[in-house]
Amino acid sequence: MVDLIVFLVLLALGYGFGRYAELKHYKSIIQREEEFRDIPVVTTKFPPLTKPLSDVALVSGSVVISVDYFKRFIAGLRNLIGGRVTAYESLVDRARREAILRMKEEARAFGGHIIFNVKLETSSIHKGRKNGIGAVEVMAYGTVLIKQ
Amino acid sequence: MKYSNPEIPEGINTSTQHPLKEFFLLTGGILGTVLAVVVVLTLLADQLAVYIPFELEMELATRVTDEVPAAESESPQIEIYLNGLADKIAAEQALPPEMQITVHYVDDDLVNAFATLGGHLFMFRGLLETLPHENAVAMVLAHEIAHIKHRHPIRSMGRGIIFGLAIGMVSSTLGNAMTDQVLANTGGLTVLKFNRDQESEADQTALNSLYQLYGHVEGADALFEVLERVSGDDQLQMPEFFSTHPLSENRINNIHSFQTEYSAVENRTTMPLPEGYATWLVSAPKK
Repeated sequence: MVDLIVFLVLLALGYGFGRYAELKHYKSIIQREEEFRDIPVVTTKFPPLTKPLSDVALVSGSVVISVDYFKRFIAGLRNLIGGRVTAYESLVDRARREAILRMKEEARAFGGHIIFNVKLETSSIHKGRKNGIGAVEVMAYGTVLIKQ
Repeated sequence: MKYSNPEIPEGINTSTQHPLKEFFLLTGGILGTVLAVVVVLTLLADQLAVYIPFELEMELATRVTDEVPAAESESPQIEIYLNGLADKIAAEQALPPEMQITVHYVDDDLVNAFATLGGHLFMFRGLLETLPHENAVAMVLAHEIAHIKHRHPIRSMGRGIIFGLAIGMVSSTLGNAMTDQVLANTGGLTVLKFNRDQESEADQTALNSLYQLYGHVEGADALFEVLERVSGDDQLQMPEFFSTHPLSENRINNIHSFQTEYSAVENRTTMPLPEGYATWLVSAPKK
């Protein structure tokens, strides 16, 4: 019985804080995406030829977001029956967008006007650790063209 | 080429569904499935008990070690005799090879005998002293072996044990805890009660094997005659045997009719008890 109460409290805490953090994070992501809209991010390998030749620099942004207890529980149940793990989808989505935003922030500090050859790397932290709550790391990096 | 940075529409890479909805769907669905499995298991417990491997039953029996003595190092002669007879009967009843019957002799005045989990039979001195010939001993043994053959002990343990063993397939610690709890709750192995249908089934199998063994069933009812004489009309003096083996009119009638059916067989002499039987009973070491 005590175990069950502890479990339910953890679940409620995980849901409460996790949900609050996620909604707040999305709000901030959407707002900053608007703010950085003037810096296009493209995945072409070569710089756009329409721009005058300029300095280039490597920019990157990385973020680590933890899974909460509630998400992990839902994902665990999902493991039994299969299907979309929506609990983790939003987590990875947030991490990717946040990583790109941080990269853009760095690009703006350089005075960049476009980032090309953008790549994303995702890795999980705590991988393979039993009963450990995992976290996801996403790193975005690319080459920025700097205005002369 | 113009590079633009359009606004990304929300809800493509993520789900717009509320997470609590998924939570309730998942937990509801899985709990519902578990519940359905439990209901089916409990409803079919009696039929499913037969499919519990006998090895598992033997292992369960050893968990209650204080009641099931380990294999005797110095078997007294009476146990050697009873086990030998039991082996012959087991062969007649075509017991599967993994069903090992172990007869234990209990030096006690109780007029009783019972079969329990793991193929263990307990024969009390009080009962063995009253039996007039080998056929009567064989009848008691055959009856108890038939209980084992038809898996009555594990079936009478009830639903809890099926459920515990089923859980044990998923989580061994949880399953073991559960079966131990059931074993503890039943108050041990000696109080296993078989119902009347099971008693009749065991009688029938016992009579058949007796017929195969001796060619007749003379003396099969000696046990009941002796017990009735011992108890007389006094209900309080009823031998223990009747409380572990509920005796109905039907049962005795069945035995009698079986006997009359085969009464035409010639040479219906009962086998005498082996020489020294009485001394074995007395000289068997106390436990």
